[in-house]
Amino acid sequence: MITRHEVDGVPAVLAPADGPMHAGLVFRVGTADETLPLRGITRLVRHLVTAGSGTIGPEHTSFHFSGTATGIADFLTGVCAALRNPPADLIAAARERMATVRDRDPLPMWRYGARGYGVASYPEWALPGLTADQVQEWIAGYFTRENAALWVAGELPEDLRLDLPSGSRRPAPEAVTVLPATPACFPGDGGAGWDTVVRREAAAAVFANVLERRILHDLRDGDGVVASARTEYEPRADGTARILAVVDAAPDQREAALGGLIDVLAAMRAGRIDTDEVDAVVKLTCDGLRIAEARGARLPGQAFNLLGGREVQTLDDALTEVGAVTAAEVAEVAAAAYNAGLLMTPGRVRADWAGYLPAPEMSDTVLPGRVHRGRGDRRLRLISGDQGISVIEGDVVGTVRYDSCAALLAWPDGARQLIGQDAVMARVEPTLYRDAERAVRDVDAWIPARLRIEMPPRARDRIPRPRPAAGPDTPREGLRPLLTLLLAGTFAVFVVAGGLWVLATMIAESARHGSGALTDLGEYALVAAASILFGTFAGRLAVDAAVELRDRRRSRGAPGHE
Amino acid sequence: MLPAMLPRQPVLDPAAAYPRIAALRTALDSGDWPACREILDAAEPVERTCLTTVAADADGVADFLRGVLRGDPADGAAGALLGRNLGGTPEAERILVDAAARSPYDPAIWTARVGTARSLGLGASEARRRYRRLAAIDPHHLPGQSAFLHHLCAHDAGAAHAFARTAAAEAAPGSLNPVLIAEYHLDRHLTGDRRHLAAEEVRAEIAGAADRSVRHPEFRRTHGWVQATSTFAMAFALIDDQTAAASLFASLGDFDSAWPWERLGDPATVISRYRKRASGGER
Repeated sequence: MITRHEVDGVPAVLAPADGPMHAGLVFRVGTADETLPLRGITRLVRHLVTAGSGTIGPEHTSFHFSGTATGIADFLTGVCAALRNPPADLIAAARERMATVRDRDPLPMWRYGARGYGVASYPEWALPGLTADQVQEWIAGYFTRENAALWVAGELPEDLRLDLPSGSRRPAPEAVTVLPATPACFPGDGGAGWDTVVRREAAAAVFANVLERRILHDLRDGDGVVASARTEYEPRADGTARILAVVDAAPDQREAALGGLIDVLAAMRAGRIDTDEVDAVVKLTCDGLRIAEARGARLPGQAFNLLGGREVQTLDDALTEVGAVTAAEVAEVAAAAYNAGLLMTPGRVRADWAGYLPAPEMSDTVLPGRVHRGRGDRRLRLISGDQGISVIEGDVVGTVRYDSCAALLAWPDGARQLIGQDAVMARVEPTLYRDAERAVRDVDAWIPARLRIEMPPRARDRIPRPRPAAGPDTPREGLRPLLTLLLAGTFAVFVVAGGLWVLATMIAESARHGSGALTDLGEYALVAAASILFGTFAGRLAVDAAVELRDRRRSRGAPGHE
Repeated sequence: MLPAMLPRQPVLDPAAAYPRIAALRTALDSGDWPACREILDAAEPVERTCLTTVAADADGVADFLRGVLRGDPADGAAGALLGRNLGGTPEAERILVDAAARSPYDPAIWTARVGTARSLGLGASEARRRYRRLAAIDPHHLPGQSAFLHHLCAHDAGAAHAFARTAAAEAAPGSLNPVLIAEYHLDRHLTGDRRHLAAEEVRAEIAGAADRSVRHPEFRRTHGWVQATSTFAMAFALIDDQTAAASLFASLGDFDSAWPWERLGDPATVISRYRKRASGGER
């Protein structure tokens, strides 16, 4: 039986538990509250406050501990003390302790872009540069008494004190999708995956479990194309739930795994849901709820409920709700889930053949502004205007507007990468565009410091070079445009002059011999045409070299850059 | 020129040998769905799958079939016909994904999906998965085996040969399935290696396959017998075993099939020439 309490102004849920006693302090803050320039700050706070265990989800951060009543009281008191006076001198040490996060979930970025729930897909670029002030501000905003809840499995420790700073309850951020239409798909770089957003209800949780069983039954046990698969049901504060399905397949089976997943989803959407299977899942879920209740494992979820302004759900209520789920209700969820689905396809394999619309990978607008042409690459263009930056490579357009920029990555070598809130990126590589330093200055002037993330220096081989060589750094290559200009220029003058001379001779000859001698003149014509053609080509090379030389002279004169 | 002087024109329309095809065409053209279903439901599985391919050449039936599916999305026969009618397009595949979702044990749908896996380039493992689904329903479903062999031939000749051999060996004596061996060797011969059929072991394998199939005492004229016999006849004709070819041409009587002869040119012309050659008229 779960009971409600309060400890020093923090709401608490308590229940007796079999086995060891454990407890957790939960805050309503998670990766969805972060922005790209603060990505990783919640994790940094967690490592700063405790070396113990804890978890961070999109909406919640937990500190939990298992042990004696005194041990729990000491742990939680320590967490609160550290939050009240964050040890600024230990930030560097905490950062050292943090392992790099791998296997980031790519789906949220495609659904939500570079903000809110999409932030979880991004690396923690900002982590090395986060300051003590930023950490302090983050703690003051989220790790407060009003934004916390406590759960205890066992007895409430008598000497437990939660001395947290005061603040306010922070509602979970609004989930704003960037997908223009669903069901949608995007190319991933590994296995197949799928997620959806549905109403938060018991039938949706049952659907997630039925889906997992169906994938395993059909694709692993039946087709043998999948090594393993799992689904997750993640309830959210706004009354929705995210359902995620991840399918692992050997590289040579990925296309079949995708085809099989598409078939399973289509079958469930079509209402082919077995009553026996639903009954089996309902029974297993109820068994699981009972076991969880006995161990106190339902408590963290109830603490989340308190933070979301929901009532505590008793075991009986939960059992009743799950027990009432029918196959028809699961079929209804399946249809809604299918329609809101986002499918990650393995590699460049598409899924538009199955009715999934490719999620936008680029911008559909090019902003007005000053055009910087690519060096030696006619397909490249960079446009810098007062609304933002557009980068064009062939028919791929990346546009980031300054008023919807999520972050600016800045490298010491001058490269800049703008990331729009829609996750579209525009990269300004000074080596690739003519006169690009001006565009870099524009970007630096337009983007406020709070969106800027300083990146570590890049190795020389990571800095892109214009396509047909001619980098400005080595003396031999530095002479190349000059040599090209001289040689090609001279060649052009001679060849064109020769061609014109042959042409003149030809006309004179034909005038002298009359039309009967035209056949002999075929050779002259050929020579004339060829030399004019070669001459034009050489001329073009010479002009290009001259432009390159002029650009280089200018960029050398540009201040503030190496 | 007098009609009597014309050489006999091969009868290539499958409806000549299989009257249900004509009936289904009429029912489709007149938009009579109950009649269509009656014909399809009465057919054996292989015959039913072959009948659905009739829709591939039927013009102006797509809207009619879409209407049938709107009325009953679970009608697998309508899904299979519409999938065939739309050819190997993404729209066809979308129809077939839904049809397979609603009628997962319909071999006509899975046969069509083996074909779309190839035409849409959905990958080798996906084509195999689809064939396995079909084989789980009917392990000897010749139209689906033929479609899968077609896919394998384009990607992996070794796997294609192994598949044809296994499918032929596992089929009942006198069945049509060993024709897959002839199909495989003809494909090798026609897609590059023009000396392929000259090899002694190839000739022996084709003869052995014919012995277990069209030349077996238990061979019956079930749906597909014309194309199987015609395929063997073509293989023997190209091997230059005119006696074997002549015997199969004789058992075909007035019937012929355009496939696989059309791979050599206009099928009527090619068949006439080879029939004549086999009967000793042209050497």
